[in-house]
Amino acid sequence: MRKPGSGKWNKYLTAGLIMTGIALLLGILGLFWTPYSTTAMSASEKFDAPSLRHIFGTDNFGRDIFSRVMKGLSTTIVIGSLVVAFSASAGILLGALTGYFGGLVDEIVMRVTDAVNGFPSILLALVLISLLGNGRQNVILALGIVFIPSYVRIVRSEFIRLRDADYIGRARLMGVCRIRILFVHILPNIFSVFWVSVMIGFNNAILAESGMSYLGIGVQPPDASLGKMLSDAQGYLQNAPWYALAPGLTIVWVVLGFSLFSEGIRRRV
Amino acid sequence: MIKIENLSVAFDGPEVVKNVTLELKDGEILGVVGESGSGKSVTALTLMGLVADTAEITSGRIVFDDVVLREAGKPIDKALYRKYQGAEMSMVFQEPMTSLNPTVRVGRQVEEMLRLHTDFSNEKIREKVLETFEAVGLKDAETVYASYPHQLSGGMRQRVMIAMAVILHPDLVVCDEPTTALDVTIQNQIIELLRTINTKEQNSMLFITHDLNLARRICHRIAVMKDGRVVELGKTEDIFEHPEETYTRELIEAVPSRLKRRTSVFQGKYPAEEEECCPGRSEESLGEEEAVGGVEGQAFPPVVEVRDLSVFYQDGSNSLFSRKKRHAAVQGADFSIYRGESLGLVGESGCGKTTLSRAILGMNRDITGEIRHTTVRPQMIFQDPYSSLNPAKTIGWLLQEPLRAAAALDKSRAMSREDMEAAAYDMLRRVGMEETYFHRRPSQLSGGQRQRVSIGQALITNPGLVVADEPVSALDVTIQAQIMELMQKLQQEMQLSYLFISHDINVVYKMCDRIMVMKDGEIIEIGETQELFDNPKQEYTKKLLASH
Repeated sequence: MRKPGSGKWNKYLTAGLIMTGIALLLGILGLFWTPYSTTAMSASEKFDAPSLRHIFGTDNFGRDIFSRVMKGLSTTIVIGSLVVAFSASAGILLGALTGYFGGLVDEIVMRVTDAVNGFPSILLALVLISLLGNGRQNVILALGIVFIPSYVRIVRSEFIRLRDADYIGRARLMGVCRIRILFVHILPNIFSVFWVSVMIGFNNAILAESGMSYLGIGVQPPDASLGKMLSDAQGYLQNAPWYALAPGLTIVWVVLGFSLFSEGIRRRV
Repeated sequence: MIKIENLSVAFDGPEVVKNVTLELKDGEILGVVGESGSGKSVTALTLMGLVADTAEITSGRIVFDDVVLREAGKPIDKALYRKYQGAEMSMVFQEPMTSLNPTVRVGRQVEEMLRLHTDFSNEKIREKVLETFEAVGLKDAETVYASYPHQLSGGMRQRVMIAMAVILHPDLVVCDEPTTALDVTIQNQIIELLRTINTKEQNSMLFITHDLNLARRICHRIAVMKDGRVVELGKTEDIFEHPEETYTRELIEAVPSRLKRRTSVFQGKYPAEEEECCPGRSEESLGEEEAVGGVEGQAFPPVVEVRDLSVFYQDGSNSLFSRKKRHAAVQGADFSIYRGESLGLVGESGCGKTTLSRAILGMNRDITGEIRHTTVRPQMIFQDPYSSLNPAKTIGWLLQEPLRAAAALDKSRAMSREDMEAAAYDMLRRVGMEETYFHRRPSQLSGGQRQRVSIGQALITNPGLVVADEPVSALDVTIQAQIMELMQKLQQEMQLSYLFISHDINVVYKMCDRIMVMKDGEIIEIGETQELFDNPKQEYTKKLLASH
């Protein structure tokens, strides 16, 4: 976290931390252990309503929905984190270089990001997936590329703002080399702004991943995914509403928790 | 008669104004003098009923002609205040640009006062506004009436603000640093105007300023505030001649005009180069200088020589297609800075002072002519202490960074981690700060402390030449004197040369051995400080000196 004492604790932060904490805990736990196997089917337990035995109920194959939500959550969190890591690092690199140096490279990069921004992001991801093929890595790559421009813009504008700061001028006078100015002198100062956009980006990545899985072009079975579960549950909405509610509400929970958390951070800065 | 009785104001707990008692008689100008954070503005805003709603009156009351306007424990009576604001009491703010609405003609803005508080006819209102404009010295009243704020100069805008404040002949005018944002020559005119208005209208004025000298020129009585308290209150001359409080004495002595004059390093043995500013110097003197430039034992070897330097800047839009225009911001500059001397650089804003200094530092590369350095990496001290230190780093890190950078450039200057830390601690001591600051961040330091760290950071590599661009003008007066003393001390210890840029002639007079006057990008005069003050050769120099 940021340096202590830079702001006040607030309720957004508390609520966000609790909600995100629970989701993260379940997701990380889901990587190693689930109450039931996510693939174990049971013909006798089809469409069981939520009970103590299966707290989120069971699905059309008699699989435990809670276990599958945990597994789906871990898939979502892992993919979300990797997408953010990929797009944010690329965004920092491109934004830092274009913002600090400006000039022709800046013009070219900015026009490309404009072009990328021109497409609806999910559509562009679809195109990339259809070129790259299905699968976990390709989903990460596609979403990662789609989200780069938003980070480039933020990092670039911050670097433009800070490159003329007096303390950067003084660093130049001391003879500090450019790379060090970029990443040691300027970069730490943009984190307060950047952190918030990473949070929002994480939310967008989660929603995009769920959307793609829902459309059947994301993670493939037998991997559990919240979006895929939603689309599977669609046919049983009347008989087994819990089947759709569980993954749906989980997505809402995670996104809301992260939104509150990022809002809390923003207010603290 | 306006009385502030035992007033205390708190924001979220701590009191920023503590038991302040002030009395304003009719026709009196009362100065409230103090440094930033002394509570002078909060006192005035509370009096005017303009203080933020989060402020709480914890004790005392405000009485205006026997009517209690505000009392401790009671919420503000906005309806009552509205009757007084504008009609009985009005305010002139520091920044005339932001206190006028940029989208409305100034005549309309002044008219509004009359529309709100009188039932004059339209013609009468217009007449009254024009009359007031003339009374505040706005010559072409009709034109000013129809102008937008951006079409007026800073001085004219402040006159409009004053017109707005006095048009209803209020009993109280509060002036919050009314001249601080203005050029010195304009400052004098505004002070004169306020005094005239006071004599004519016999109203009370509360004059808030950080500048004791300014207060001396206009106020009948002065209240000195510190940390929310009035520490001394008395007749202006009494305060200056027999200050009772140590703080008041400090404040008076801190005014740069009282700082001890630096004894010139040259002591009359100034290297023969009087003709510097003029082109066509004799060939011999040039040759001679080149010969002695690097010789050890020379009394005053130059640390930088500037020959026929012009500096250009690119004008215009950041467009891909339009060709940028090139302007000369500095033309034909020709001078040297010698070891151990302070060279002052004065001139109005926009005359090219900063451009010239940046060129010398190599921060502006678009130049013709020649800059010859004999020192490596001259450093700079900036005006704004709040933006000259990287907020993400600790003081210790900041002080060591120049050493790391030097080591990265030149392996022979590499130091061990312990040596670097020791050097940083040593520098921290030399700039007069305690070792405990080593692990703190700039946000935990005051403006003066930040400026000390900036100086330490500039000097830790022993650069030989330091360019100081208005290094004290953003600081409180008592701090100004401390920083200037520190700079003089370090100059002696380290045989430094300063290029000292300032708009404040007094500061330059105290700090510098020689002074260089710039106007419109050209150096019009250069000479030893005393000589220049006694016999200014150029008309412009005379004018500049006379305004102080």
